Amino acid sequence: MPAPRKIAVLLDHVSLRSPGQQLLDRFLIGYPRDGEFRRPATNAVVLHVASGGERELVEARQRDFGLQVAATAEAAASRADAVIVASGSPSAPAPAALMKAALDHAAPRAAMFVYGSLAQETPQPWRWHEAAARRAVWLRAGTAMSTTWRLPETEVPAGIILREALIVAQGPMPLAELEALDGLQPLLERRRRGESGVRRLRFLAGKELWRAGEAGDWSWDLLAAALSRSHTPQGDPVVDGRTQDLAGLGLVPLLAREPRGWLLQHRDGLRTTVLVLDGVVKDFNFALRPTRGPVISAQLFRAPLHAEQHFSRLAAALDHWFQTGQAPWSLERNLLTARLLEHMSRPETREGGWVAAS
Amino acid sequence: MKTKIDSPLRSSRLPRRRFLAGATQAALATGLAAPLVSLSGCRAPRAPNAPRKRVAILATEVRKHSHAQHFIDRFVEGYGWQGHHHRPPMDLVSLYVDQFPAGDLSRDRARRRGVRIFPTIAEALTLGGPSLAVDGVLIIAEHGKYPRNEKGQTLYPRFRFFRETVAVFEASGRSVPVFNDKHLSTDWGECTAMMRDARRLGFPFLAGSSLPVTWRMPMLEFEPDTPLIESVCVCYGGVDSYDFHGLETAQCMSERRAGGESGVKSVLAVRGERVWAEIERRDTTRRLVLAALTRHFTGAAEAHYTFAVPTLDWARRHCREPVGYFYEHRDGFRTAMFLMNGVVSDFLYAGLRGDNGRIESCQMFLPMPSQIATTADFFNPLVNNIERMILENAAPYPAERTWLTSGMTLFAIESLHRGQVELPTPELNVAYGPTRASTYWRS
Repeated sequence: MPAPRKIAVLLDHVSLRSPGQQLLDRFLIGYPRDGEFRRPATNAVVLHVASGGERELVEARQRDFGLQVAATAEAAASRADAVIVASGSPSAPAPAALMKAALDHAAPRAAMFVYGSLAQETPQPWRWHEAAARRAVWLRAGTAMSTTWRLPETEVPAGIILREALIVAQGPMPLAELEALDGLQPLLERRRRGESGVRRLRFLAGKELWRAGEAGDWSWDLLAAALSRSHTPQGDPVVDGRTQDLAGLGLVPLLAREPRGWLLQHRDGLRTTVLVLDGVVKDFNFALRPTRGPVISAQLFRAPLHAEQHFSRLAAALDHWFQTGQAPWSLERNLLTARLLEHMSRPETREGGWVAAS
Repeated sequence: MKTKIDSPLRSSRLPRRRFLAGATQAALATGLAAPLVSLSGCRAPRAPNAPRKRVAILATEVRKHSHAQHFIDRFVEGYGWQGHHHRPPMDLVSLYVDQFPAGDLSRDRARRRGVRIFPTIAEALTLGGPSLAVDGVLIIAEHGKYPRNEKGQTLYPRFRFFRETVAVFEASGRSVPVFNDKHLSTDWGECTAMMRDARRLGFPFLAGSSLPVTWRMPMLEFEPDTPLIESVCVCYGGVDSYDFHGLETAQCMSERRAGGESGVKSVLAVRGERVWAEIERRDTTRRLVLAALTRHFTGAAEAHYTFAVPTLDWARRHCREPVGYFYEHRDGFRTAMFLMNGVVSDFLYAGLRGDNGRIESCQMFLPMPSQIATTADFFNPLVNNIERMILENAAPYPAERTWLTSGMTLFAIESLHRGQVELPTPELNVAYGPTRASTYWRS
């Protein structure tokens, strides 16, 4: 019989179909896993919402599933064995007040998960890390992209030597970049000697992005491989249902709306390209080029509304962590993502040319 | 409906052996040219520098998201496959189109891709010449305006298309591989005649739904001779429509049980409250339904929620007019298929193993054009299997599966029509074995 556990969910805002609601419900109600519907081993799920939202949503959970609601973040987090913190907007960094309450009041050795990025301004992520370490709280962050299905089911062999990676994403900055990095990093970390860090990065937009591709700064063939995994080609397929070789027919630049891209040069020589291509496809797809063997490509699958079952995959990973103490990934992944997002948001990075990733 | 016919295709003619071996034996038994497969299933090598194969598609109608549009566009535009945009190594050269509704796309496709539309099936297959001039035929007779019979079945002209194809084969003195989309016919006698003709003339015959070959989440496959004792599919859609897809979902798994498929002994089809009553009184079926439901992506939710605990009460609350088909197979195996509109819009499978009592389940995932897809890519693996058949002159999996599921569909509809009574189905004495290789989309 697992030990009784208290899980605190701290949200700055609650609304239906937000990541916070999706995760709250998986711990409150349960989630499907391996052909069964599982209820996490908790004896209390305590919610605190900082700035309101859909009151009926909270009341329904109090009535139907015994959700406890705390007036303050401190009360919710007090002696919690696990804490989930989420912003109302998945692109926003973790709310500082909620982070502080959780780090100050959770039980020692508690697990603390932040949906999204830890922070986007240096040195805040490291401050959270230090505060967590002082109280022996296990801190991690991420999105559902890191644990979702890959179509086809794909895993990179441990110790693989990768030369190049590319991911196609959509959405506003920084959400698209966050989800792209979060989906790609679990794959890249499996390369020989793991993640080495990013030495420098370069922003590209509009025609510059396509010129860089022609110049070989990123690879069209990896883009073609990634797009071949998409279920959502835009343009003619939307008009009349046809299949279409978007890359081979040269349609990508024609379809892309305000395209932007990031070239990342890792310290071990790996080159990563993040292409945010609204208007081309509507799903996330990646391709990896190892030094030996064929290109590896897949779709990072986001399940349809309203259940968005990719949150069940994330909940399963978190639940396992909360029960066993074995974190599903390293904090260094989250620190690297936070650092990259910070660089990407700086105006000087947008001026063109390579920027050192300190 | 002809429920009593002389079927020469009983198990005595096609013993429960591996399909390729069985197909070869059947061809040999007819005294006709054997397909290009050996008893071990090895395919004959293709001649070097062989000309590109030529394909004809016989369609009921071609409009956005009609089945024929999906097939035609994959042959002329290609499709995503194994990490690149694959272009079939063959040419779509002719179309026969039965109806031209508003929004017809066949003329646009023909004009842009140089495909000729012929006024008759015979001309589409002969390209207007004296004899068969294509290397493969696709019969895509789904969608279009066709009459319905008193049981609500849409009388798509698959059998007519097939017979006219066979007539060209006979007149030409040679045959080529044929694919038939969805069930063979709404008439069991016609289904059997199609199988008989394929055997008689010895051409590779492939049929059915994309469900058996689409993504599986998770990637579940049973080894041949797995000791399965029951299969369930929970899905959605209408009678004489998606019920067939649900049965193909279950059957592609069930046929891999110990001994292979033995045929179906009886069927009971029910609607409404009787569905829940039948589930409640069948313990293993109930457990399988619940296991299948855990694999959903699209389950109904109450107000203020995005998902719910999958229970039978939940399903009852949300289901609009459930339909259930219950089958007993000749070897004691059981299959059940449920249309649960309002509960899920997925195809969910669960199977019960007899050796360890474990339930294995998955979703057979259709990226259906909606919020998460634009191009119905579950047709990709189906078209790829058709290409294989045309290139290798051997069906990659048994048409007997679809022969049986066609019968399972139409006898279930008969059961509904007769007042939801159990029907013996001696006609469904269709025994066959699976391919050893797995054929669904996984790379």
